[in-house]
Amino acid sequence: MPLKFDLSKCTGCKLCQLACSASHYDVFNPEKARLKMIHDYNDDGIKIASKSCIFCKKCEKVCPEGAISNNGKWMIVDPEKCIGCNTCVTNCPTKIIFLNEKKSTICDLCGGEPKCIEWCPKGVISLRQKKGAAV
Amino acid sequence: MNSLMGKYLKINLSSSVIADEKTPVEWVELYTGQKGLGSRILMENFDPATDPLSPENKVVITTSVMGGTIVSCSSKLAMTTKSPLSGTISDGSVGGHTGAELKYTGYDAVEIIGKAEKLSYLYITDKKVEIRDAAFLKGLGTFAVDAKLKEEIGDDELKVLAIGPAGENLVPYACISSEKYRQLGRGGIAAVMGSKNLKAIAIRGKLGVSVKDIEGLMKYSKEVTTRDEVTSDDNEIYDLGTSCLVDYSQESGLLPTRNFQEGRFEDAEKINGQSFKDVRKNKKGCFSCGIACGNYVVDGAASVEGPEYESIVLGGSSLGIGNREKVIEFNSICDDLGLDTISAGGTIAYMMEMTEKGLHDFGIKFGEIDAVIDMLTKIANRDGIGDEAALGSKALSGKYGGEDYAIQVKGLELPGYDPRGSWSMGIAYVTAPRGGCHMSAYPIAEEAWGELDPFSFEGKGKLVADMQNSQFCKFSMGVCDFWPINDETLGRLFELSYGGAWPADKIYKTGERIFNLQRMFNIMAGFDRKEDKLPGRFHKELLKAGPPKDIAYTKEAFDKAMDEYYSYRGWDELGRPTIEKLEELGIEKKFIEAYKKAL
Ligand code: SF4
Repeated sequence: MPLKFDLSKCTGCKLCQLACSASHYDVFNPEKARLKMIHDYNDDGIKIASKSCIFCKKCEKVCPEGAISNNGKWMIVDPEKCIGCNTCVTNCPTKIIFLNEKKSTICDLCGGEPKCIEWCPKGVISLRQKKGAAV
Repeated sequence: MNSLMGKYLKINLSSSVIADEKTPVEWVELYTGQKGLGSRILMENFDPATDPLSPENKVVITTSVMGGTIVSCSSKLAMTTKSPLSGTISDGSVGGHTGAELKYTGYDAVEIIGKAEKLSYLYITDKKVEIRDAAFLKGLGTFAVDAKLKEEIGDDELKVLAIGPAGENLVPYACISSEKYRQLGRGGIAAVMGSKNLKAIAIRGKLGVSVKDIEGLMKYSKEVTTRDEVTSDDNEIYDLGTSCLVDYSQESGLLPTRNFQEGRFEDAEKINGQSFKDVRKNKKGCFSCGIACGNYVVDGAASVEGPEYESIVLGGSSLGIGNREKVIEFNSICDDLGLDTISAGGTIAYMMEMTEKGLHDFGIKFGEIDAVIDMLTKIANRDGIGDEAALGSKALSGKYGGEDYAIQVKGLELPGYDPRGSWSMGIAYVTAPRGGCHMSAYPIAEEAWGELDPFSFEGKGKLVADMQNSQFCKFSMGVCDFWPINDETLGRLFELSYGGAWPADKIYKTGERIFNLQRMFNIMAGFDRKEDKLPGRFHKELLKAGPPKDIAYTKEAFDKAMDEYYSYRGWDELGRPTIEKLEELGIEKKFIEAYKKAL
């Protein structure tokens, strides 16, 4: 159940990233956010791109230790099993996985109620519902 | 644990010595961050009589104590120096993301002195600080510097503070571009950087900011931003940005037109908020800001993030130019060359009026769009007539006369509000420590656009002083002007981030202390009441349309209002803070001693 972005509304304020790092690590640090909003200018104006877990489960497949699983909604990392080998990081197609204190770190949708959605002032982020699922 | 990073960086470009210092907590307690801390760091071992373009002058960069946190629009970055344009203390601030980025490098502030042997740039990260060769950036505009440094360092998240050719050529109103389109505009701090052979500062930080009470801060921050409608899409500043003010000023008859000769512009509708919204491509917000006042506009071949109200006026109506595309071009060229739009526009407007009045032929007249664009490049390169224009309107009027038409205070050209249409703006202009600026107080919101009588000085000395005190603390805490936050809320956010008790009266006192510190600096630099004056035009000429029509803004009434202002501030009749006042404010003894000697 990945996050969905309406990038036309995003102003690049990074409140989503701040809320993410605060809720997981008690610190304000956009680098430690599990989603990234990147903005830059090109000839057409401001270009905003989002990076977040697309729930492709590739990390689960490539992890040599079986440390990554999913519950049908988000990915789950078992820190006991994770050896910090970086395999998931290098194989992540969106480059959003990173190691924090040598442990793999992936968006867990804050257990179902993502803080980024709560904090985005412009209604950019929502949860992509599965077809046929109740909204 | 609190939101201070705990250290500041000292760089001497002459000796290439780079050192980390502990951020003195006593300075933070007295002056908080940003503007206040910047002033305090500047004044440490500093003679206010220093030549602004000498290696001894300092460039101080400060973050705010709440910077980098989730508190909305609280991450601005300030730079403080002694201005080469006004000779006063001068600080400016810039929004965007650079303030937070600097904080994430682990530094609360950076102090730069000396002069590099060759053109250099600074590279500051959370792992290293380096003075690097900038030969490959020589002569480049700020947009190209931003792109080249991102390419050189290979990081799209790099934040760049850059000067353009104007700064390299020491134009005293050269400005700094941050992330290309955000400007630290006023007072010529880019010329000070240029005098130090410092072309740019590239910043990238990956550390985090902790706070005193994270849960409490997040809860309270959300509550007050919702309450104050910071995140509401109905917020006019979100919808139109500052360009919404064009209609307000036009309506109030105080929209500077043809160098403040008139207060209504016949083509105002072509350059108002709606007009710029029509060519808007994107909205852009500063770091942690729920408002997002920024607009990226494209019209024909011209594009810019902005234009902000002041640039629309000084590059538009005040030059007699009612052409949207050209105003955007004016703004964009100034940003790229690294010129303050307000001072560049104000100086050119003076030259136009002098030419039209036959007082001196500068070869440029109102409405001559192409000549304006051409002039900007000449100013930045100090080429021919541009070398004259680079002096600024005050120095030019000293040379060629027409002092009444040099629309400046202490050498700093005035922004986009004619004080004849909102009287206390005049008090704000003459008492702002850095010269003619609208940021120390904005009483127009209460007067011309509010409930108070705009054509009366009754109680206005107090109004302006009170506003300045609150603003000075609010800005020192890094909060943007566009959040109309009250002192109590501000104090509570600060407590949850930094700790301690910061009730509303302490916020006010802190602002008053910082304001007085800056005034002391100016007094020690040789200023007093005699420089607290408006250009003659405002007292001698009447506006002929709108609410201010035919209402005299007399020098006598103004002087009386100034008496009231000084007395409310606890300053003497020459506008100098009294020793009792400074002691009451808890200004450090060593400064009071130095100040006594200068009196
Ligand atoms: S909080 Fe919303 S508007 Fe701000 S960067 Fe994130 S997605 Fe964009």
